[in-house]
Amino acid sequence: MSALRDLAAGLDMEPEPGAAGEMHATCSEERFAPRVAALAEGAILADLFATTGERRRRLSAVFEAAGDPGWLVLHCDLSSDSFTSVTPLVHSAAWYEREIREMHGLEPLGHPMPARLRLLDWPEGVPPMRAGPGAAARGEPSEPERVPVVRGRGVFQIPLGPVRSGPQESGEFLFNSGGEDLVAVSPLLGYKLRAVERLAEGRSPEEGLVLAERLAGVSAFANGLAYAQAVERSLGIRVGPRQRAARSLLNELERLHNHLGDIGRLAEATGLMVAAAQYAALKEEVLRAGADLTAHRYLRGALSIGGLSAPLPSSGLHGLRRALPGWHRRTERMRVLLEATGTFTDRLETTARLRARYAAAHNLVGPVGRSAAVDRDCRRDHPYAAYEELRFEVPVRPEGDAQARLAVRIEEVRQSLGILDQLLENGFDRERSGGGEPETARHEALGWCEGAGGQTLHWVELDADARIVRWRARPPAFVNWHVYSEACASGNNLTDHPVIEASFALSHAEFDR
Amino acid sequence: MSRWIALGLRRGMLTTGYPRHPDPGAPPAAVRVRAEALTAEQAVRAADLCPTGAIQVEGDAGTGALRVDMGRCVMCGRCVRALPDAFTYSTAPEVAVRSRERLTLRAVWSRGEGPQPEAIEAAEELQRRSLSLFRRSLHIRHVDAGSCNGCESELQMLGSPVYDLHRLGLFFTPTPRHADCLLVTGVVTRQMEQPLRDTYDAMPEPKLVVAAGACAIAGGPFEGGLTVRGPLDHVLPVDVYVPGCPPSPLALLHALLLAVGRAQERCSPGVRDGS
Repeated sequence: MSALRDLAAGLDMEPEPGAAGEMHATCSEERFAPRVAALAEGAILADLFATTGERRRRLSAVFEAAGDPGWLVLHCDLSSDSFTSVTPLVHSAAWYEREIREMHGLEPLGHPMPARLRLLDWPEGVPPMRAGPGAAARGEPSEPERVPVVRGRGVFQIPLGPVRSGPQESGEFLFNSGGEDLVAVSPLLGYKLRAVERLAEGRSPEEGLVLAERLAGVSAFANGLAYAQAVERSLGIRVGPRQRAARSLLNELERLHNHLGDIGRLAEATGLMVAAAQYAALKEEVLRAGADLTAHRYLRGALSIGGLSAPLPSSGLHGLRRALPGWHRRTERMRVLLEATGTFTDRLETTARLRARYAAAHNLVGPVGRSAAVDRDCRRDHPYAAYEELRFEVPVRPEGDAQARLAVRIEEVRQSLGILDQLLENGFDRERSGGGEPETARHEALGWCEGAGGQTLHWVELDADARIVRWRARPPAFVNWHVYSEACASGNNLTDHPVIEASFALSHAEFDR
Repeated sequence: MSRWIALGLRRGMLTTGYPRHPDPGAPPAAVRVRAEALTAEQAVRAADLCPTGAIQVEGDAGTGALRVDMGRCVMCGRCVRALPDAFTYSTAPEVAVRSRERLTLRAVWSRGEGPQPEAIEAAEELQRRSLSLFRRSLHIRHVDAGSCNGCESELQMLGSPVYDLHRLGLFFTPTPRHADCLLVTGVVTRQMEQPLRDTYDAMPEPKLVVAAGACAIAGGPFEGGLTVRGPLDHVLPVDVYVPGCPPSPLALLHALLLAVGRAQERCSPGVRDGS
């Protein structure tokens, strides 16, 4: 049952209980890196982040283990602005530590490549999560961070972005190509850095929710829910069963419109315009169903700390009930057609292939991970909302190519529709029993949610007046962008890039934050 | 391939009747205020509820003024749920305006009386000559200056058969050299300011600029952030403002038609009894 507890005991750690399902441990500066490495042997490093404040520097590493619904959080207080890097021992820590360096100004000593992740031209010594207001305006912009470039006979570079060709998010790619083949691709991210988490500091949890819902538009509900659960867990608030069911319903609705949109964009990238149009039309129906339920197409404002801001209206639920059989039928028909369209599937097979070992070493999440044999899904692994009572399967494929990512999304659409059926059948309108006694307030806790992109993990620390001291969001795109260049360099052509980008469907807003 | 075409034909026409006919499935596009329905205390409460300062109160319950700025509204719905008599959702997509001031409403009260809205000036019809140039066809260059991807998602829906912006002579263009209109989403971040200016400078005159969404109009919830430059009109001259978080595809269509003088400005943040 408790793989994490056994693992901690094996390392002579005595973790204290945190919010429900969490264990917290602390260790000294010197022992932090080896201890994280030892834990990462038997558990998954789900997040690594810093908390900085006046005279305060703390690192926190979050672990989960297969078959264990709990979490283990290891904290370490630093005495100076540097720490021993974990990355030489645990590769998946690389981007977390680069983020800690640029956003908090804490130096990971011994990091093999501590270059900045997103601050392309930003004054040195002005870490956005730590610097005082107005600091950025005073500093002189530094030289842009050096980007790795491939040198060799006939190899040249093609920059793409940050302003893209269509109505898309801003972000840059640097292609290294010998003509047609992609030798290497460097995503240059961070153009849209808003420092959302910093803006929440000192505010009330309800005000923070507005920011969490606007961290990323198409995963507004997933990020909002992960944040709301983190606040509820840290304050010991229990959510009633009916509201938990409603949260699952909206969670699935958002996963559905994202998957339909992503499949449609993949069809568009291969020039299959009828499929793109039909998937977009279906996505529009799902968005409208969301607006009928919550007065917002992207479900913003539906959540509140402790439940939902308003009960789901019966008119919207009836509309959803009426629409579901048609959605089942149409997605099934289009799945059959997609699989039978050779010009489409030819572009996907073996495109941007991720090896399973590589995917596992980076602890990938969501459809990108599950299509490369990384079997993780918080709805099953750490049940929240009403998922404990719901039946669904988590599709996993071993191939790791664009075709597998599509197959996982198509199956997840089917599963989401099945979950919506169950939620509506089980008498949504019927009142269920209450939420039970509140739990002890701990003032800090994790919250999580399985969004369309994968595991969305948030951490909230509140002060005695329930004001936000630290809000940390680790959305799925942050983890999955890490392997993008590797996937691109697996023997693809320049013309494959639109297909690769659509098959990954990674959010820039979630990464840049 | 023929099976796909057959599927498309079987599904038939999916396109909205907008702008010729209203779309019955239009989502809430804006919050409307009936200031007369508020007491001074309720106005203060509404200002406390509003997370982005779209509703502000000067003075106190005795003598004061209520200022509602729809440019800052992120449609969180808190005022609508708490004070449904005064704040309501409007599904009319005609929310875009040509001047920033037209998105605001002021209501004043003094001792013993409830808030009375100040007269709203009639929309000044500034028909710029350049507009008529683009009446038949408009090529749009979109730039995401720091958005959350909500606005992009809605812009992408404009290309779907449901909205089909091409039927109205509207086109997205990849190159600023061919663009007549710059449509900007998101708050302008420090790192996107230069690419945004470069795009604008690369566009030939005459050119229109549309600020889409609360973040582009006023910074939304990100105003004042350390890594944020500010609202779009601090960086570029803006011709049309479309509020919303995000603005719905119908509101975006109206905004683009308004920009070229093919639609009327109808937005007013206030509603009067009987209107």
